[in-house]
Amino acid sequence: MNPFPMVLADWRAMRGTAVWCIVLVALAVAIGVAVGAQERALRQASARASDDFALLIGAPGSQTSLVLASVYLQVEALPLIDGANLNRLAADKRVAAVAPIAFGDVVNGYPVIGTTANFVTRWGRLAPSEGRVFEAEDEAVLGSDVRLPIGAGITPAHGAAGAPGKADPDEARHRHEGVVYKVVGRLPPTGTPWDRAILVPVETVWETHGLGNGHARDPAPLGLPFDAESIPGVPAIVVKPVGVADAYALRGQYRQGGTMALFPAEVLVSLYRNLGDVRAVLVLASALNDGLLFLSVLLLVVVLIGLRRRRYAVLRALGAPAVYVLLVVWLGTTALLAAGCLVGLALGWAGSAAAGALVAARTGLAVAAAPGADEALLVGVLVLVGGAMALVPAWLATRAPISESLRS
Amino acid sequence: MLALHDVSVRVGELTVLDAITLAVPPGRCVGIAGPSGSGKTTLLHVAGMLLEPSLGSVTWQGTRSRDPAGWRRKTVGFVFQDFCLVPELSALANVLLPMRFAAFCSGDAAGRGIAMLAEMGIAHPHRRAGILSRGEQQRVAIARAVLNTPPLILADEPTASLDAGTGGQIAKLLIAAARQAGAALLVVSHDPALLAEMDEVRTLRGGRLA
Ligand SMILES: Nc1ncnc2c1ncn2[C@@H]1O[C@H](COP(=O)(O)OP(=O)(O)OP(=O)(O)O)[C@@H](O)[C@H]1O
Ligand SMILES: [Mg+2]
Repeated sequence: MNPFPMVLADWRAMRGTAVWCIVLVALAVAIGVAVGAQERALRQASARASDDFALLIGAPGSQTSLVLASVYLQVEALPLIDGANLNRLAADKRVAAVAPIAFGDVVNGYPVIGTTANFVTRWGRLAPSEGRVFEAEDEAVLGSDVRLPIGAGITPAHGAAGAPGKADPDEARHRHEGVVYKVVGRLPPTGTPWDRAILVPVETVWETHGLGNGHARDPAPLGLPFDAESIPGVPAIVVKPVGVADAYALRGQYRQGGTMALFPAEVLVSLYRNLGDVRAVLVLASALNDGLLFLSVLLLVVVLIGLRRRRYAVLRALGAPAVYVLLVVWLGTTALLAAGCLVGLALGWAGSAAAGALVAARTGLAVAAAPGADEALLVGVLVLVGGAMALVPAWLATRAPISESLRS
Repeated sequence: MLALHDVSVRVGELTVLDAITLAVPPGRCVGIAGPSGSGKTTLLHVAGMLLEPSLGSVTWQGTRSRDPAGWRRKTVGFVFQDFCLVPELSALANVLLPMRFAAFCSGDAAGRGIAMLAEMGIAHPHRRAGILSRGEQQRVAIARAVLNTPPLILADEPTASLDAGTGGQIAKLLIAAARQAGAALLVVSHDPALLAEMDEVRTLRGGRLA
């Protein structure tokens, strides 16, 4: 019993319709796959971006702004928090490590971030891929995506980051004349927006803005503790607590008394929950998805029952057992659905990769929209459901009255 | 032997066949003549168990088949009035189509198919059936019906699309195939030349056999 010559003949008979069925199913599946893969990739990438930011402390204000500015470097003017907090935190035995994050300057569109050498290496996790970490006030370390040579001298300008790699015309006018950093090293890629940052000692940022260097003497050894009489303020402090309980205790403590403390991971989760737009898009997309899929399957069923009634009646008149006709119709339909699903899976992954590249280009967040088992599973389930649905036209084809169908 | 016992077919109020009794023993060629709309095709459909009669019964070798599809597969060669070829398949593939259902495929079926088509005057067995002329399609349909030397051949106007010369030739092939295999042959036709070759000709008029 060989149904394949008939299956091939059926496909040839419905060439155009078959192609449209595959296209429709593929589009529907691609949307679902792309949305799923993209959402997952985005979630993973942003979780990864906040990896080294266990606890953030800033001046009271918008939690989202603090996270976006320090983790994603979507810099906006933030209120400052008293720099004395840095010393207090450094002395706290619940704190494993602490570093300031100061921004507000820009070079060639790359944000200049003032911090400590300890946080440049992500608490010792990263080693420079080229050169070394800054050791003096006028030295700078580049993120992996900053296109500047080692040894270059750069002058920061006051302002927010523009398009990375392109100097804003405004930049020239706001340049801090006389301030020159020497690039001494480059960091390996982290897949986060920090890959586009130029990292300098926080002391230099303070000094550039005429606030002293935070130390009693000048020059002084870089980093904590800061022993000046009055320590300049910073927009954000990143803290690595010793343990989970310490993290909660610290957050509780620094929520009061003129400071704000938060876990970026938690803010991200609530951000996701509140992104009504994204959810609306998801709902719309999946509705569209189901609609398209339903439409295409309906089209298939109509085509099969209407157009090919006579064909299957001929087979049965020639003595084909019911199971042969069932096989021919079922194989033909299911193969179309499966082809559509597979094409859709590939399309969806490709679309998700394209969207990921777009997000990466805009934010520096490396959204690795890799093919995942989730989507493969979804498509597998769809093929199964499609195969089950294809039994309906197949069964109908074995039931239609032969004599009447031959006359049609 | 194929036998129709008191067979009636009613579609709603309409009586298409009315109390038909007919026997076609092995080796015998029976022709059915009759005007258009008299029920000839319906009669063949009932004989081939494609249509359950409203009254009466159809038997083969004295028994009613409980598996009409299986019975057709093993017993019947059918030439349909409008050929019923699969247009996307080649002439040869159409001739071999019934063997696709069988659990086994006998010997050099393709070789026999090509020889049979050649005998019918079809020189291009690999051409798609859909682009053949009506006369060629008719000959492919006949080749498909007789290839496996079935013991019962049912043919619905097998020469209607052929010119007199070719029609006569094909009619001879059909009858020879039936006689050689000792098959029972039931033919519906308007073709006097074909009817003249039959052992017996009955006329159907308004659903009744004369
Ligand atoms: N399922 C049906 N529903 C309604 N009418 C039917 C049905 N089957 C057959 N008929 C009618 O029964 C009559 C006989 O049809 P049939 O096809 O058997 O005629 P025929 O003798 O083969 O005609 P022709 O020589 O034109 O092929 C026709 O009037 C046809 O319309
Ligand atoms: Mg007819």
